[in-house]
Formats: sequence, structure tokens, C-alpha cells
Amino acid sequence: MTILAFDFMRRGLIAAFVVGLAAPSIGTFLVQRRLSLTGDGIGHVAFTGVGLGVLLRTSPVLTAVVVSVVGAVVIEIVRERAAASGDVALALLFYGGLAGGSILIKLAGGTSSALGGYLFGSLSSVSDGDLAVIVTLSAVVLLTMALFLRELFAVCQDEDVARVSGMPVRFLNLLVAVGAAVTVTVAMRTVGLLLVSALMVVPVATVQLVARSFKGTLYGACLLGSVMSVGGLVVSYYADVPPGGSIVMLSLAAFLVAAVSRKWVRA
Amino acid sequence: MHAVSVFDLQHGTVALGGRRILEDVSVTVDEGEFVAILGANGSGKTTLVRTLVGLNPLAAGDLRVFDTPVRQFRQWPRLGYVPQRLSVGGGVPATVGEVVASGRTGRLSRFRRFSKADQAAVDHALEDVGLSHRVGDAVTTLSGGQQQRVLIARALAGEPEVLVLDEPTAGVDADSQDTLAGALGHLSNAGGSVVLVAHELGPLASLIRRAVVMSQGRVQSDGPPPQPDPHHDHPDHVHQHPHADPPSSSTFGLDR
Ligand SMILES: Nc1ncnc2c1ncn2[C@@H]1O[C@H](COP(=O)(O)OP(=O)(O)O)[C@@H](O)[C@H]1O
Ligand SMILES: [Mg+2]
Repeated sequence: MTILAFDFMRRGLIAAFVVGLAAPSIGTFLVQRRLSLTGDGIGHVAFTGVGLGVLLRTSPVLTAVVVSVVGAVVIEIVRERAAASGDVALALLFYGGLAGGSILIKLAGGTSSALGGYLFGSLSSVSDGDLAVIVTLSAVVLLTMALFLRELFAVCQDEDVARVSGMPVRFLNLLVAVGAAVTVTVAMRTVGLLLVSALMVVPVATVQLVARSFKGTLYGACLLGSVMSVGGLVVSYYADVPPGGSIVMLSLAAFLVAAVSRKWVRA
Repeated sequence: MHAVSVFDLQHGTVALGGRRILEDVSVTVDEGEFVAILGANGSGKTTLVRTLVGLNPLAAGDLRVFDTPVRQFRQWPRLGYVPQRLSVGGGVPATVGEVVASGRTGRLSRFRRFSKADQAAVDHALEDVGLSHRVGDAVTTLSGGQQQRVLIARALAGEPEVLVLDEPTAGVDADSQDTLAGALGHLSNAGGSVVLVAHELGPLASLIRRAVVMSQGRVQSDGPPPQPDPHHDHPDHVHQHPHADPPSSSTFGLDR
């Protein structure tokens, strides 16, 4: 395999694998609560974090984690208040995130090609330091989800019932929000900020076409997500396209196959 | 020595969205009681039971749960709550067994595994609502009445001492209503308390010892349940006809 001869590809493949595993574990809870677009929102906000990192000449991944965690907590608070204008408030936050990032990067003298790497992923961008951060944070997200699985399932089935039975509902909701923010930043190098949400949502949407149980959907989506992520990266190498594009296209193709074959079976 | 009161609400006032919904409501439910909350649509039944289980803050008044001020109360798994819902589910599939087992979560500490006793409680709850044979099916494949039974089984799986149900019979087929009456009868015979919001009592009528009738956010009457109408073809079918508050819903007081 010539593809494994390059250091950057080995790092990229490991990153793609762990990100593909972690993203659907958060995505399952977002889809369950019909919050599929939350990941997109956080992705926009994280862009300001990237800009800040470039401007301050520190690690953009680090500043993106901080800014997107803050953004996710704000989004969760707005959601909980469920104000009539909540929808608009979120939209404003998203636009602000994207606009802020583009300005900060320009101020820092960044180029638009560097910009594209953050938005759609890039093959060569994962350094050794990045890889350590990506693997560590993905592991933290996965372990947290596993640890709180029972409570998270109960809360996303019915918040009121969970609250009456004494569960710390607000804490659990924030856990998912922060987990989503961390996943977005971790996946940023591989799939890019504009497509990260697809890796959270599409594998879940695909598996739930054939699954009956929540656990089956969760585990199946993590498996599918990691396969699509690694597969998409390989395609990206040979076809010379941004990895975000090939990973998401591959995922969408899998969704189409599942949807069509299900129709077939039922018919 | 008086009986333990499960809920003791004194002069409760509740405001939601800047509007006063409940006004000076006092209701006490003692251990072992089987109480129905009746009243027209919009009279405040849901708001009242949500307040009792601690979901609505009080603007004025006092609430004690198991003789403890609600702010200090920590033994929430002693309560079971079945909200007013049309169906179960969400974006991701879940099996009947998974949903019912989630009713156990409040009782489990984080690192404790789901034990044989937990599984037994889940199995028993499923049996009680007559859905043991559907345990592996996706909840969305069940009928509305069966889904309502899943929600009740979820509450029963937590082995609550008091069960609060909001309109568990609304839009539910006669079969499911009978099953529900059986399950609540078991809980009541075992010494449990039941607080239940209903539009029409149906097969539950024979279980109810006391009815609190709500009207425009106040308690209109509190006492023995209204007697069955002797002219009705269903001997145990009870209808409510509060005079101060004409029916605001087409289903109120009508057979479905
Ligand atoms: N969250 C809320 N915000 C504002 N008004 C509410 C809210 N919930 C209920 N209400 C109002 O309170 C009144 C009583 O509602 P509810 O307790 O649901 O009545 P019921 O269950 O008897 O039909 C209704 O007029 C309803 O519109
Ligand atoms: Mg109601």
C-alpha cells in the first residue's frame, strides 16, 4: 500500500478513524432530539475560534475548542429557554461565527486556500501534535458518552420524566452540547467545519433506516461512520479532492443504498 | 398519628408565560389514595399535576412531597410520572424494552450495572400492561393505545410508590383502557397511590374513590366521584358536567 508510505496519510487515517467513531456517538443524541443542525451551528461558531488562533499565532484547534464550547453552551441555554425568538437568535450566532472567522483570518494575513482547509478538510494538515489532541479528545467524548449512556437515553426520550425521576437534566444536556463542540473541532482537520455535521448525522440517518433499537442505531452508526471516514480519506488521496467532500459523498451514497434497498425489501 | 401525605399543596399559585394559571389551589393526597383530577379542557389539570411532581415552580403557596418541602425533597424515584403525550419516540428508533427499561434509570447509580432485579421489574411492568410479547419491537410500530401502555410501563418499571398520570385514557382503545385499569388496580392494591387526570373515566371509574374537579385554575369541588349515569348504556361510564365551565372540547363528556 503506497498510501501508507506517507506519514501525513498515516496520521490522517488514524484521525479519520477516531473522528468517524466519535461523531455519530454524539449525532445519535442530536438526531433523537431533532437537533440535527446543531453541529452545523457549532461548526460556524468554531470558525471564529480558528480565526482567533491564526491571529494570535497559537494552535487554531485549541482556540476553536474553547470558542465552540462557549458557543455550544450558549446554544443549549437558548434551546432550554425555548423563547419564541430562539430560532432567530441561533441563526444570528451562526452568521456571526462565520463572519468573525473570515475577518480574523484576513486580519492575520491568512490566505483563502488555508481557509478552505478548515472549511472542507485537508489531507496534509494533521501534524503529530494535532493527532495527539484529536485522539485524546475523541477518546474523552466516547468514554463520556459510554459512561452516561443510560441517563442520556432517558433524557432524550422525555426530559420531563427524567427530571421527575431526579436526573440532572441540565447537566446532561450540557454534556451533549459540549461533546458536540469538542467533536466539531476534532473533526475540523479531516472533514472540515462545513461538513462535520454530516459525519454526525448521515451515518445515524442511514442506520436507523434498518435498525429497530436505540443501541443498534448507536453502535451501527459509529461503525458506519468510521468506515465512511477512512474510506472517504482514501478516495480523497487517489482522486485528489478535499477529504470532507469525499467522506460526505460516500456517506450519502451509503444512505441512498440503504433507503433504496429498504424500499425493495418492503415492497 | 396521621397518614403520610404524598402531596400536600397549600394555596398554590402558578404562573406560566406571565399568566396566572393556578390560583390559590389546595390539594392533599394521602398515601394509598386513588384520586382523579377532572375538569374541562384548559381548566388547569395538567398544570396542577406538573406542579405536584415539581415541574412547575410555585409563585406563591407551599408544596410538600412525602411530608418534605419540595425544595429539600430528594427521593424522586418514589414518584412515577406519565405525561400527557400522543406518542413515544423521537428521531431514532427504540424498542419497547429499551423505553421501559429507561424508567429504571433514576433508581440506578452511575456505575451499577442493570441487575437481575432491574430486569425483573421491567419484565413485570411489561406484563402488567400486556406487552411482554412486543418487547423487541420498535415502539413506533405499536398503536396509539399500545404506545400509551409503554409509557405507563416505563413509569411502573421504576416501582414507584405514587403514580401520576396525565390523561392516560385519552384516545386509547377500549382494550388498552381495560389493561390500564388492571395495572392501576394492582398498584393500588399493593398500597400505592394514584393521581390521574382524566376526561372520562371509563373502566377506571370503579377504582376511583375521590375526584378533584378543576375549573378555570381553581378547585371547584373535592370529594366522592360523580355517580354513574343510570340512563347510560355503559354502567361504569362516568361523565363530568361541571356547571360553571361549559365543555370547551368536542370530546368532553362524549363517548369516542
Ligand atoms: N407553558 C404555558 N404558558 C402559558 N400558558 C399555559 C402554559 N401551559 C398551559 N397554559 C395555559 O394554562 C391553561 C391550563 O392549561 P392546562 O393545565 O394544560 O389545562 P388542562 O390540562 O386542564 O387542559 C390553559 O389556558 C393553557 O393555555
Ligand atoms: Mg391537560
